Amino acid sequence: MAVPVMMPRQGQSVESCILGQWFKEVGEEVNEGDILFSYETDKASFEEEAKEAGVLLATFFEEGDEIPVLTNVAVVGKKGESVDEFRPGAEAAAEEIPASESTVETADEAPKVFEFEVDESETGSRIRISPLARNMAAKLGVDISSVKGTGPHGRIIARDIETAAAAPKVEKAAAPVKAAPAAKPAPAAIIESGDDFEVKSIPNIRKLIATAMHQSLQNSAQLTHHMSADARQVMKLRKKFKKQLEAGEIKQNVTINDLVCFAVIRALEKFPQVNTHYLGDKMKWFNKVHLGLAVDTERGLMVPALRNADDLSISGLSSQLKELSTAARNGNVNPDLLNPAAATFTVSNLGNYGVEMFTPVINLPQTAILGVCTIVPRPKELEEGVYGFVPMMGLSLTYDHQALDGGEATLFLAEIKNQIENLQV
Amino acid sequence: MPKVQYINPDEVRKPGQLEFKPIPVNQYSKTVEEEKENFTNEELVKIYHDMVVIREFETMLNLIKTRGEYNEVPYNHPGPAHLSIGQEAAAVGMAYTLDVEDFIFGSHRSHGEILAKGLSAIGKLSDETLEKIMDSHFNGVTAAPVKEGHTGTTKELAVKFLIYGTLAEVFARETGFNKGLGGSMHAFFTPFGVYPNNAIVGGSGDISVGAALYKKVNRKPGIVVANIGDASMACGPVWEGLAFASMDQFTQLWEGDMKGGLPLIINIMNNQYGMGGQTTGETMGYDVAARIGAGVNRDQMHAERVDGYNPLAVIDAYKRKRKILEEKRGPVLLDVLTYRYSGHSPSDASSYRTKEEVEAWEAQDSIIWFGKELVKTGVATEEQLEKIKVETTDLITYALKLAIDDEVSPHMDMKKYPNLIGDMMFSNESVDKMEDRPVEVNHPMEENPRVQQLAKKERFMFDANGKAHSKIKTYGLRDGLFEAIVDRFYKDPTLIAYGEENRDWGGAFAVYRGLTEALPYHRLFNSPISEASIVGTAIGYAMCGGRAIPEIMYCDFLGRAGDEVFNQLPKWQAMSGNVIKMPVTIRVSVGSKYGAQHSQDWTALAAHIPGLKVVFPVSPYDAKGLMNTALQGTDPVIFFESQRLYDIGEQFHEGGVPEGYYEIPFGEPDVKKAGSDITILTIGATLYRALDAAKTLEEKYSISAEVIDARSLVPFNYEAVIESVKKTGRIVISGDASARGSFLRDLASNITELAFDYLDAPPVVVGSRNWITPAHELEDYFFPQPEWIIDVIHERILPLEGHVAVNDFTEAEQLDRNARGI
Repeated sequence: MAVPVMMPRQGQSVESCILGQWFKEVGEEVNEGDILFSYETDKASFEEEAKEAGVLLATFFEEGDEIPVLTNVAVVGKKGESVDEFRPGAEAAAEEIPASESTVETADEAPKVFEFEVDESETGSRIRISPLARNMAAKLGVDISSVKGTGPHGRIIARDIETAAAAPKVEKAAAPVKAAPAAKPAPAAIIESGDDFEVKSIPNIRKLIATAMHQSLQNSAQLTHHMSADARQVMKLRKKFKKQLEAGEIKQNVTINDLVCFAVIRALEKFPQVNTHYLGDKMKWFNKVHLGLAVDTERGLMVPALRNADDLSISGLSSQLKELSTAARNGNVNPDLLNPAAATFTVSNLGNYGVEMFTPVINLPQTAILGVCTIVPRPKELEEGVYGFVPMMGLSLTYDHQALDGGEATLFLAEIKNQIENLQV
Repeated sequence: MPKVQYINPDEVRKPGQLEFKPIPVNQYSKTVEEEKENFTNEELVKIYHDMVVIREFETMLNLIKTRGEYNEVPYNHPGPAHLSIGQEAAAVGMAYTLDVEDFIFGSHRSHGEILAKGLSAIGKLSDETLEKIMDSHFNGVTAAPVKEGHTGTTKELAVKFLIYGTLAEVFARETGFNKGLGGSMHAFFTPFGVYPNNAIVGGSGDISVGAALYKKVNRKPGIVVANIGDASMACGPVWEGLAFASMDQFTQLWEGDMKGGLPLIINIMNNQYGMGGQTTGETMGYDVAARIGAGVNRDQMHAERVDGYNPLAVIDAYKRKRKILEEKRGPVLLDVLTYRYSGHSPSDASSYRTKEEVEAWEAQDSIIWFGKELVKTGVATEEQLEKIKVETTDLITYALKLAIDDEVSPHMDMKKYPNLIGDMMFSNESVDKMEDRPVEVNHPMEENPRVQQLAKKERFMFDANGKAHSKIKTYGLRDGLFEAIVDRFYKDPTLIAYGEENRDWGGAFAVYRGLTEALPYHRLFNSPISEASIVGTAIGYAMCGGRAIPEIMYCDFLGRAGDEVFNQLPKWQAMSGNVIKMPVTIRVSVGSKYGAQHSQDWTALAAHIPGLKVVFPVSPYDAKGLMNTALQGTDPVIFFESQRLYDIGEQFHEGGVPEGYYEIPFGEPDVKKAGSDITILTIGATLYRALDAAKTLEEKYSISAEVIDARSLVPFNYEAVIESVKKTGRIVISGDASARGSFLRDLASNITELAFDYLDAPPVVVGSRNWITPAHELEDYFFPQPEWIIDVIHERILPLEGHVAVNDFTEAEQLDRNARGI
């Protein structure tokens, strides 16, 4: 029997999605677990797997179409089966069919033979893996999608993970590329081309970023203060964690960014007026810190929120930030966390790229955003009359002057500097 | 088969005929007037009083059940109430002459007997003893509500205590005689000589025999009365109890003061119906139940029918029969004819009898008739009797109000103490001997030929070079069992052991060789081939305070003792509110080679029943240590042994089996061979096949297997197994039981739940096939073999390089076998 394929609903707030790409053509055989199409929400892209085997009988939308969630987008079934009843908007039409007609149809079908189509293939995307092997893979950082199972029925078992973990790095590095081809955004369609140019469509996510950034600058009174903090303490901590990690004493790789975020959260606890949303005629004060983290992905800038970040220890914060940015890069982050209103304050770190100073743009309705810049050695008086070079980290705080005054913002930025210089974890 | 008894062919082949003595039927003919010389007026009035109390108690319950109120006190009792309205004379007559130390056992319909025996005991006990009994039962919890505001005498208080304790028990109150865990059909109170009543028809038929055996073997005063119904005379266990109770050896082989019959009266409370089945005329063929005695032994069990509608007739019979028991000529069978007006239970519509029949019996009602006789003979005035009735109604009303008051008589607080019943399933005590007195043995232990022989045996299987000693020189598993058992015989004077071929033969598998020399008959004897009575009597023996080792020769015979093993033995500790202990260790031998009805491992059946401890040691060290623990404890233990292994030597415990006493705690599985790649957990003799498999795995496939012997099934501490699985990530569970529904499956399911994240494959069970056990020549296709274990690892857990599986353990095969039910 033919079954419809619906546009799934990803997250409570999502009302429609953009169809990315069809991976199957009408008339093609489909196995359970095969990827049918990709689609995008505001900021993440997903893939829809076939839940039944059969033939892709019909598709109702084109790539790039915006489709309300829970709408039928395709039909999978046996060759020759009717798909009309599943066509969006067909329900109303179906009701109009005279009763007698449908009776006749049913009579024609009788006697009905029940056929089971048993899917014998193991080619679906479900990975057979033992619980032990799964845990080992997570611990050893082995990507299980690239591992060949040698257990019964090709189940990945512990020895397969051991083998994979012991294999040379090259092989491992190749795996993610192979594993996540569909995670890339759909190629842009060329709208117009000339001798020296091509006009290309822009992906949905680009459009969304464009709108958000423009609106931010239009609807707020932003300005940026710069300051720099002595980075010796964070560098010392970073060195200590690195050593412990190499010695196998800890499992989490705590980065400088993690330490800065930790310091920012502490500062926010002291300046609740910064941990707010500015809503025009009122302010929303949060008693928890939901930290937005700007992540550069292949699809564009994403700012997922880490909820209740103030509850976390440094290692907890580090591991959750890592998880969140990985999810954002893989495109499987919960869309609800990408909503700008999900975070109360954002940190954007360009230090790795050597940026010495910038003016980050606020993610409205948040009140402020901190840009973290690269570390530059600067001369400093170490003791009376003695000067030396000290590594200094640049900090750029953009704030909405509608919500905060310059004095408050400066004191807050100074608190961040203070926290960074005297960080205890 | 004692050698002293010569079976002379000339004698037994001689022609002749058996003659039976006449069996008296309702021969008592005295009038009340005539009995006045044997009873004081007070005694006769007490008989009347006790009958009235029973009638009112039962009437109250009947009204509560059928109308939801008694004397304007409303109550809803959802539980059972099998009433005996009409049977009062039989109960009071039975109990009237009994001493406190005489024990009665009963049935589901025994409220009347509890009250009759209780009232009889109260009459005979001193105030001081009564106070002590009331204050010490559950530390006075049962007595507290009736003590509150009591102004009368101690005996009056004791009567209130009896009525209240029984009723609170019926209503499942924590203040009841058994904390409300027994209820209507099981209530009892041992300080008054009231032993467990039994909701299984005929359940007391063999348990009471064990109680009589206890009295005899331990030289305790008193007799035992088994109150069982006329319909229970069709039950196999009742016949087995009769066979056990009437064994010739009591009079022909037991020596000295032990010579003689059991102090037991099988008292058939013959109300002429088994639920709705009319025993005479419909469901039985004995016509008069007393006839049964003629078929049991030479004495015809001194059987007679007594008119149970005349309390004096029953008392007369008891006085006469007691003499017979005192002369050690028991057991006795009494057929006490009576009738119940009440239905089998309140839901009984009496569709099986006419109104006329009930009315005819009511017209001869024993209480009315006896009351009239008392007035007629000038023993009492009508006013006196009326006063008794009024006072009784007040007493019952008072007890009812008290027993249904949730403040005074609460149910067990399971909300606050969710494990309250769980904690009562086992008594978990460690007791050297059940009674402190010298043991009766024939010689000092060191003079025992078996003990001397064992001193020369090698207590470890291998010599210093790893070479196995010869079988004859090796200390085997049967020797480990023997050492633990003989040690206990020299410690605990109450310990007895019996079963088929236990004496002379030394047990079918020679575990008891040497015990015959060490012990007098009454401590070690042969039982009839009658598993229900072997286990049932042990239950009765233990209930009274003794320790017993009954033996089931083949595990396959457990079914023959089904009710005893599954319904009686496991339940009485908890059902008594922990008043009773049950130090019974049933030795059960698991066979092989002898086909479908002699080779089954039924450990799962025992493990399934709550209240049993279950162990299955397979090495001499474990056998001795676990047997010591079993015999030191106070709980029922099903002790499995394997006939494959009685002569196996100790190959695990360094230094061999210790000569001295040691215990191995129940519930601790033992790592017999350490390993790192896969765990094999076994139950029973399969251990040795698993070790063979482990050897092959290591030598051929470089897989290091850890082999764990479960040793115990109940209790079972999973920690060691989980630790092993955390290390290996893989586990095979194997044993000789048919796999379906086996304890192996239980282990697998628990391990999956407890170690899921550590598993590299699902735990796989390798049990026996779900077939009949075939002949020895085909057994390798039925019981798990080392190759099966390797094949299952290859097919389901860890494919082994170069291995070619011969046996099909694939999922498809598993599905198919299950679908076909084989």
